[in-house]
Amino acid sequence: MTLNYHHKLCFLVSFFSVIAINCVIAQDSAAPVTTMSVRYFLPVNKVPYVEVNTKKKVGRKFEPVMSIPVSIYLNEATPANLLGKVITGANGLAKVAIPATFKSTWDSLGEIKFIAESDSISGQPALSGDVTIKKAILVIDSASADGVRAVTAQLKEKKGNEWVAVKDIEMKLGVKRMLGNLTVGEAETYTADSTGIASAEFKRDSLAGDKNGNLVLVAQVEDNDTYGNLIVEKAVPWGKSVQPDTHFWHRSLWSTGNRVPVWLLLLAVSIIAGVWGMIIYLVRQVIKIKKMGKEFDRGLTT
Amino acid sequence: MENPQKFSPEKITSDLLPQPFGRRGKLWTAALLLVALIGAFAYIQQLRKGLVVTNMGDYVSWGIYISNFVFFVAISLVGSLITAIFRLADVPWRTPLTRISEIIAVSAITFAALIIIVDMGRPERMLYLFLHGRLQSPIMWDVIVISTYFCTSLLLLYITLLPDIKIMIAAREKLGTPFAKFYRWLGSFWKGTEAQEKIRNRSITLICITIIPVAFCIHTVTSWLFATTYRPGWDSTNFGAYFVSGAFLVGAGGVVVAMYVFRRVYKLEHYITERHFDKMGKILVMLALLYLYFNVNEYLVPAFKMKKDEEAHLRGLFTGEFAPLFWFAILVGMIIPIFILVFPKGRKPNAMFAAGVMVVVGAWFKRYLIVTPTLLHPFLPKFDAPARYSHYFPSWEEWAITAGSLAGVLLIITFFARVFPIISIYKTITDHDTELPS
Repeated sequence: MTLNYHHKLCFLVSFFSVIAINCVIAQDSAAPVTTMSVRYFLPVNKVPYVEVNTKKKVGRKFEPVMSIPVSIYLNEATPANLLGKVITGANGLAKVAIPATFKSTWDSLGEIKFIAESDSISGQPALSGDVTIKKAILVIDSASADGVRAVTAQLKEKKGNEWVAVKDIEMKLGVKRMLGNLTVGEAETYTADSTGIASAEFKRDSLAGDKNGNLVLVAQVEDNDTYGNLIVEKAVPWGKSVQPDTHFWHRSLWSTGNRVPVWLLLLAVSIIAGVWGMIIYLVRQVIKIKKMGKEFDRGLTT
Repeated sequence: MENPQKFSPEKITSDLLPQPFGRRGKLWTAALLLVALIGAFAYIQQLRKGLVVTNMGDYVSWGIYISNFVFFVAISLVGSLITAIFRLADVPWRTPLTRISEIIAVSAITFAALIIIVDMGRPERMLYLFLHGRLQSPIMWDVIVISTYFCTSLLLLYITLLPDIKIMIAAREKLGTPFAKFYRWLGSFWKGTEAQEKIRNRSITLICITIIPVAFCIHTVTSWLFATTYRPGWDSTNFGAYFVSGAFLVGAGGVVVAMYVFRRVYKLEHYITERHFDKMGKILVMLALLYLYFNVNEYLVPAFKMKKDEEAHLRGLFTGEFAPLFWFAILVGMIIPIFILVFPKGRKPNAMFAAGVMVVVGAWFKRYLIVTPTLLHPFLPKFDAPARYSHYFPSWEEWAITAGSLAGVLLIITFFARVFPIISIYKTITDHDTELPS
């Protein structure tokens, strides 16, 4: 019996499907291994920090591993270089800020290695991870001419005592909103040119700003293998002035007890005063009857 | 049937003075005390362990306690119906029923207030309601109106009692000494002078005028606790009138049952006559028809539309999990009593007693049906909730506390009847005097 083309095709599809399913099953059934990764962050106007992430692959997705004690070192895993000891949280994350005592070491270095180590604990083998970054700063600027608004950003790395602009760096240029950053133009990311400047035209007209019309521009280098994560912000008066909604403090049916609407207050107080006034009057009548009874006993009345 | 108007004042006084408990009275009181003590024990358990001893949960957060609360508030409304409305309407046959309705009102409203504290779980937090209360909240209105109604009902009971206290002080030899000091403390100042009588009469009229709107408020506000909440079955503009009509019905039913029991136990056949049963029967059938009318409005209109969100709730009542209880409450609480009472033979004491019991029992379950099924069918879909959250059956602690509170109401009425005349002696004699010329 000879196999025609369709039979061969069916056979091959079935064969590779079985292999693929086996691979997936084998992958899923393997004991999950916990891994540790280290990331460096330089947030705006804040102390730089190192973040450790512990996770394991369960099935086809990663799950955080919590309660892992981790020691984080600068350059070398020695007690003298210990930046701090942390324990990963429910999201598998833990972070440590660079202590002020490391300022002189920090200032003297152009390239820094962060090492994270965790000893073996019950059922959990020892873990380690590291990341090496070059020290850099991110600068943001804005310009407005002839009705065109532009955002520029520059990443500068430390070379000797100088800060030198870095070329071809990919970064995000956005404007800060309540739940995240909105890109200033149509592109998701922008790349620095030969002079190290990434620029974008600001096309987000009529965005709501604060009460003075200020928007916060954000430049962000994200998960860069050489420089880590850097964020910088700048406020610009390019938004629409929005007066904050102050109704929260007004008298309303849903506000706190001391902000009861006047109509309700008057209504309730007048009803309560009316009824309780009557009750008090009636109690006084009882007292009056009592007095009359005493006077009767003394023969003062009949 | 002998007419009480033909009795001498001495005979009336002798018949109506409070009597010591007989063997049945002692057994009855002991049984009530036992149930109340079991309820108190269950409440101590709840205080120690928290509301976790109940079967209330995320969905049924108002269970049997709130059903019981609504029932107590409803039955307490009778004080305003019999005393205030009948007095202002100058209903001539009201005398034997007024004090019974007043004490039912006071005892029921006392336990309505207490059961709310039981439902709170942490009683000391009641204070927060006054420290941080919001006038915008119907719960706050309820607290204010319940305390107001309690004070007004107590005043009404006390002021109408004054002449009888004088009679009881005078009858010390017959009554013995157990309560002599108490009577003197309460009303030795009442001399029955013309000036005192004038003030008393004016005061009673003023209370009667005041108590009617307060009584309407108390049950309307209680209905608003539900109606201002956006839930299937509660989101109704009909609720105020529906609750007030139901309250009058159960209150009148309660009075009929109490009339029958006191008549039998204290042999008051010459004072609570078949005429009183006949009149109350006619009132009861009218109130049952009125409540049935509001029920038709409450259930038929949403059932006709059968909006998706209300469907599960309504089907649960009509044909589902709560159908036996629902049809029991409608049939036993309204329709069967109407059929009994619409005929003159049905308005005889025994049949009236049966109808009264049906109305009261049906009304209790009706309150349970107002509270629980709605909470089991929220508008928002239940998400990630344990299966037990989809059903509610009270725990033994809840049953014990509820039974204890019902026993507590009956204990107050029982002790009151032991200490004070359950029919006003003074008013009965006065009615007799005014009847004489005619």
